[in-house]
Amino acid sequence: MIAAGGRAGRGGRLRIAVPKGALFRDSVRALSAAGLDTAGLDEPGRQLIVTTADAEFIIAKPTDVPVYVAYGAADCGIAGRDVLVEAALEVVEMLDLGFGACRFVVAGSEDAPDLEERYGQMGVLRVATKYPRIAAAHFEARGVQVEIVKLNGNIELAPLIGIADVIVDITATGTTLEQNRLSIIEEVLPSTARFVGNPAAVRTDPRVLDLARALSVLSVESTEGPHIADPKASPFPTEGE
Amino acid sequence: MRPVTPRGFRDVLPREAAQREAIEHSCAEVFSAWGYERVETPVIEVFETLQRAAGDLEGTAFRLFDLDGQLLALRPDMTVPIARLVAARMEQRPGVKRFRYAGEVFREHESLRGQSRQFTQIGIEIVGASGPGADAEVVAVLVEALNAIGLTDFTVALGDVAVLFALVDAAGCDDAWRSEVFRAAHESNLVAFDGLTRDDRIAESAGAALRAAIRTRGGSEAIEACRAIVEPFGCAAVLDEFAQTWKLIETAAVADRVVVDFGIMRSFDYYTGIVVEAYAPGVGLPLGAGGRYDGVLAAYDAPAPAVGFALGLERLTIALTEQGVTPDVAAAPVVVGGDAEAAFVEAARRRAAGQRVVLAPGLTGDRLAEEAGALGAEAVEAR
Repeated sequence: MIAAGGRAGRGGRLRIAVPKGALFRDSVRALSAAGLDTAGLDEPGRQLIVTTADAEFIIAKPTDVPVYVAYGAADCGIAGRDVLVEAALEVVEMLDLGFGACRFVVAGSEDAPDLEERYGQMGVLRVATKYPRIAAAHFEARGVQVEIVKLNGNIELAPLIGIADVIVDITATGTTLEQNRLSIIEEVLPSTARFVGNPAAVRTDPRVLDLARALSVLSVESTEGPHIADPKASPFPTEGE
Repeated sequence: MRPVTPRGFRDVLPREAAQREAIEHSCAEVFSAWGYERVETPVIEVFETLQRAAGDLEGTAFRLFDLDGQLLALRPDMTVPIARLVAARMEQRPGVKRFRYAGEVFREHESLRGQSRQFTQIGIEIVGASGPGADAEVVAVLVEALNAIGLTDFTVALGDVAVLFALVDAAGCDDAWRSEVFRAAHESNLVAFDGLTRDDRIAESAGAALRAAIRTRGGSEAIEACRAIVEPFGCAAVLDEFAQTWKLIETAAVADRVVVDFGIMRSFDYYTGIVVEAYAPGVGLPLGAGGRYDGVLAAYDAPAPAVGFALGLERLTIALTEQGVTPDVAAAPVVVGGDAEAAFVEAARRRAAGQRVVLAPGLTGDRLAEEAGALGAEAVEAR
């Protein structure tokens, strides 16, 4: 599938997908600091497309940013590493913007019975998550057998109401986990906001590269690649251990 | 019950089919003028045979078992089957082989991603020729084909994976690091790529060269810029051939459509030299891609250099629609009704005169007009 009229934004403006929610303010600030006219983005109200002198900003649900960019509906955009890994779509990951830092963790209820015991007995862990792909890859790499339940929100509820033994979710400060008496069992991967481009736009539209360059001057350069925890450190023993 | 096709498979109705036929025909004419011979290969191959040359096909290829228990696969591209054809059937034929094809290929995709699982590839392969001559020819044929189908605006990006290979060798790190670098490049993950080039096990100058090389693009000046980057590491030789290729592309008068881009990074286990990608404004995915794959035929014990490209027919139709170009499609036919015998005679006369004729024997008056109307055609009543 390819988006119709992609890149042919009105007046030939660059189309930039901006994630609403937690990354929104920092994204607007970064784009503005990179020299783009972002007037109107501060208070978009219910508007879904904000057009300024420089660009057409598409205000997107964070998980839809990679979809818009991969299919060419937007030339570029900002998305968390977490969302990119889960989407597994073809976008050019151009820049680590440094903000929006959070971690993927496995967490379980502090009041629940011993997980190791339960895993030994049942032979399978029930995992609730919004990120089934990341969760599956994580447990696969550790040889832990899991049943994954995809939920769409309030993942912290899952262990409390007994639909899952553990959750895989993102956390920035850990406050929500704490408030729900959940504790972190292991780290999956860290995430920050990334500037991503449509592969065709990166090759053919110099404005995407210019924007990446302008943003790179601002961003804190991250030297860390995707970090995967040591599989041997898994708290869930594999068969025979 | 309304019968449906499986997810990701679809029918092509007459209007679109006519357009696709016109595009295929325009490409075939260009390929043929350059001396490419048409070949066809089976839609199904032995899975193991494909995988030996294509690398990991897990999750990409449709697989099935036949009654003998043999594991088969629907071809996910045309290049590997043609390499197999050359290795199996043409070993004795001397000289350079130039083949063209148009065929359906099949790829598995997860549901709800809006992806087709069948599409049509149109392309060429040169087997048995290495060097700038063959490389430049492929680029020239690609540009001519895109011109021939009527695209008014497109860009062909040309890079060379040998640059990255040479710099990674020069960096002299372990295999794990190498494969991570190639993976990051293949996945277009520049953040991870940059991170890996800052690994303290490699020289800072080598890391900086890697970061600079993949960001080098432009006209012929980009070739010199890239040469300056790789020269200190003693691998400027890879740029010499590239510069010759560029010269021939200029001579072929297609250079205005070509952009040098050493950031094109894909399938490092497959490509060994130049890589090309074609883009059109308004289309967020490449129209087609290709490159040099000198190692593929060796997988079939028939080592030979090879280079080629494939265009996606569906993406070409999208690009043409975006640019408001309608390929020449045959004019509406004439519907000939009236007395059956007279209609057959009249139809034969008109066909001989070069008209397209639809027979409607026995239909007259309003019913004939209705039949013609449904086809947007003129009605003629034979007497």
